[in-house]
Amino acid sequence: MKTRYIGNVTTQNVDGPDKVTGRAKYVADMTMPDMLYAKVLHSPVPHARILRLDVSPALAIPGVRAAITSDDFVEYGNFGFPVKDMYILAFQKVRYVGDPIAVVAAETPEAAQAGVEAIVLELEELPVVADMKSAMSSTASLVPLTAPLEQGNLCAEDIVRNGDPGPLLADSAVVLEQRYEFPHQEQAYIEPEAVLAVPEPDGGVTVFTNNQSPFECRDVLVETLGLPPEAVRIVQPPVGGAFGGKDEPLYQCSAQAARLAMYTGRPVKLVFTREESLMTSYKRQAMNIHLRIGADQDGNLTAAQATLLADSGGYASMTPFVLWRATVHAAGAYRYQAVQVDAEAVYTNNGYAGAFRGFGNTQAAAAIEMAIDELAQRLGRDPLDFRLQNCLRQGDRTMTGDVIEHEVGLAECLEWVRDHSEWSRKRAEYAQQPADALKRRGIGVACYFHGCGLGSEGEDFAVTTLRIAPDGNITLTSGLTDYGQGSRTVFTLIAAEVLGVSPERIHILRPDTYTARNSGPTVASRSSIVGGNATRVAAEKLAHTLRLAAADALGCTEEQIVRDGEAFIGPDENPLPLEKVVAHARQMGLQLSTVGRWHAPPIEWDFEKGHGRPYFAYVFGAQVAEVEVNQRTGKVSVLHIWAAHDGGTILYPTGALGQLYGGIAQGLGYALMESFRYENGYPQTLSLAKYTIPRAKDVPPITGTYIQTRLKDGPFGAKNLAEPVMIGTAPAIANAVFQATGERFHSLPIRPQKK
Amino acid sequence: MKLEFTLNGEPITLDDVPEEMKLLDLLRDVLGLTGAKRGCDTGTCGACSVLLDGRLTKSCRTPLSKVAGRHVTTIEGLHGPDGGLSDMQAAFLEFGAVQCGFCTPGMVLAGEALLLKNPAPTRDEIRKGINSNLCRCTGYQQIVDAIEATAKRRAAQSEES
Repeated sequence: MKTRYIGNVTTQNVDGPDKVTGRAKYVADMTMPDMLYAKVLHSPVPHARILRLDVSPALAIPGVRAAITSDDFVEYGNFGFPVKDMYILAFQKVRYVGDPIAVVAAETPEAAQAGVEAIVLELEELPVVADMKSAMSSTASLVPLTAPLEQGNLCAEDIVRNGDPGPLLADSAVVLEQRYEFPHQEQAYIEPEAVLAVPEPDGGVTVFTNNQSPFECRDVLVETLGLPPEAVRIVQPPVGGAFGGKDEPLYQCSAQAARLAMYTGRPVKLVFTREESLMTSYKRQAMNIHLRIGADQDGNLTAAQATLLADSGGYASMTPFVLWRATVHAAGAYRYQAVQVDAEAVYTNNGYAGAFRGFGNTQAAAAIEMAIDELAQRLGRDPLDFRLQNCLRQGDRTMTGDVIEHEVGLAECLEWVRDHSEWSRKRAEYAQQPADALKRRGIGVACYFHGCGLGSEGEDFAVTTLRIAPDGNITLTSGLTDYGQGSRTVFTLIAAEVLGVSPERIHILRPDTYTARNSGPTVASRSSIVGGNATRVAAEKLAHTLRLAAADALGCTEEQIVRDGEAFIGPDENPLPLEKVVAHARQMGLQLSTVGRWHAPPIEWDFEKGHGRPYFAYVFGAQVAEVEVNQRTGKVSVLHIWAAHDGGTILYPTGALGQLYGGIAQGLGYALMESFRYENGYPQTLSLAKYTIPRAKDVPPITGTYIQTRLKDGPFGAKNLAEPVMIGTAPAIANAVFQATGERFHSLPIRPQKK
Repeated sequence: MKLEFTLNGEPITLDDVPEEMKLLDLLRDVLGLTGAKRGCDTGTCGACSVLLDGRLTKSCRTPLSKVAGRHVTTIEGLHGPDGGLSDMQAAFLEFGAVQCGFCTPGMVLAGEALLLKNPAPTRDEIRKGINSNLCRCTGYQQIVDAIEATAKRRAAQSEES
């Protein structure tokens, strides 16, 4: 299909002009007359019972106007999904260093801080559960208030049962068995958490907050503040990066600031310092993965068996869903005759873990791709060729046993990175390097698949509204958030394309629970596919209304209408401008606003039996990394990355490439630099000097592309891309470092031995 | 202390500001210029970057005593000849160098500071030039593209004129 705006390489980000000029107002940039400043008392210890908590001394500090604890919320502020184990402020216990305990609002930030320091807090320290292995010991201290699965610190468990790998592995010519360990990773969005709560005359509250999921946030506030849904308005100014990381901590901050605003009758602003952000926000789960994979003499994979253990830290947050996604991706993008996975997540006192780009598949793909590489090596096979032999193709069954009916671009991705990286030549050349050379190069590959949307995590839907004004300008609302990934641009393009109007006509409002419809959480790379489809549906309905009006005005049938630019043309060939069509529609009494809802196709997953169809579609990709290792210092320099991703039809090419490059930089950080460390529950990396993320000189040139396939259910054939584009990078680098050094890595970040 | 300096080309006098106050606090909290962002307050992330006499400077670590008598340029001070976007700002949009936008004001200024020192940088030199500014979204490649294109276009323009 010929499109004008979809897939156009000249499209620019609709928020760009405000962002390059500094005009964009992020929450921390906002002020209000009479505004108060809030500061939080965080737990100084990883695990303790709260014996005494008295905020009244804070109220005696000059300038302090209010102070709150869990007592100030309905059911002590208990919230959380899928496990309701969190509190707006710590209740009875603290479970990690940084756990928020009390909040003070005052005339100045200094007075609020003095108030925090005046709070009387007596803690009885409890034994620290410092690692996953000891968490399930019968003597381990219980981290949650009550065990959700009635098995101590067990937080979640998941399985895949697709045939019996046992006999197949016993008969396999080669079986690789390996254990992998992955560290905690921090999202490190450059904008720290920020909230501004404004009391409203009707007793309600408006909260400007930089969270990802406004309707989830509203529901938490409604529940914990005891307000009717219409009394809480969540508005989202531009969000300075999220990567999965801006949900629960912002629900807490939003509820805290809202409560203080309601108590004082004044606006309350709460902004985290970087140290607070690093300490209080959830991380990517540290995870241990044990794999057994087999292949026959001809290099065909036979079966896989995986065991996963994830560190959920002090609270469940999204870990149960992360664990599930890791479980159903644990054997990777390959054909097997049987796969079995057993996964557990446990509570510890290591901060807490939640959503972060890749959502479990980052760890799962890193493990399986390092393992597949090692298996290929044992078979004496080229690792890229071995992947091509076994990778998923259209009509194949995935590791969970479901058949992929849509187009699969995985083999094409592998071929693209092979050809563009000059894989064969470099692979052969680097194999000939002298063993004692100071610097040795290597080239490595990884590939992946990734389920589209929420899968079995929840109802996967979105709603877009459109309204056309008499001057032909169009207002679009969506309940999904753009924290940099470009969804506002994508929705604008889709609406413009379907309506046949210039994108400049489309004005997209900020997510706002008063003006937009609930569209579920902004997670799982689902905005383009689910929100995009909702926008398409809304635009088709509005376009139908306009065509009816044009047909009536031009005295013809709807089918006889053709478009010339924005104008409507009937059999008399006189163009009727958009404004006149709108005016005629108004005269006809038609409604010039509409709502489009889209729900992802049904899926079924039996959690008890570990079988079913976890996702309605998959995306695929492959990456090649070329590295140089200084054998004396062990320093790894990544020289180049080649990346190809099958994300279906690409709607916004410049933005899609930006996702690819940015995801790769995060994957490079995961491979070589990033590890958020705890020692006996105490965080060790509480600054961006200690927790280092890639800088411009760390990231190599990237040659990337999108292999365009077409998904029938996607808007204009689109699938998704934002998360999965990062997950091939770390294993590709690890596999390249293996070629350079001969050293296999079983944990990240990679630190080659110094020779 | 009394403070006089030039802000975005205009002289400014402040009668009583604390000497130890940081430039970022003055810009954001006193003058209401929120283009410079507070990302870490420790000089690590570069979101607070401004130009001080044309040099890229982290305003969160710059006490006002060091600002006296000097020229400060913030993102609010950049614009094209027609008052619209500068060529660098337009290139950031054209090449997709903007995602969440939080590092963007600092990055645009890092690009300007680099081109003041080195009007024809290589891509490696551009990476060095923006190395003190963190971006978590873009992987830097399109930022490098935008700065490189701006440098080339400026060179072509000055050749023409």
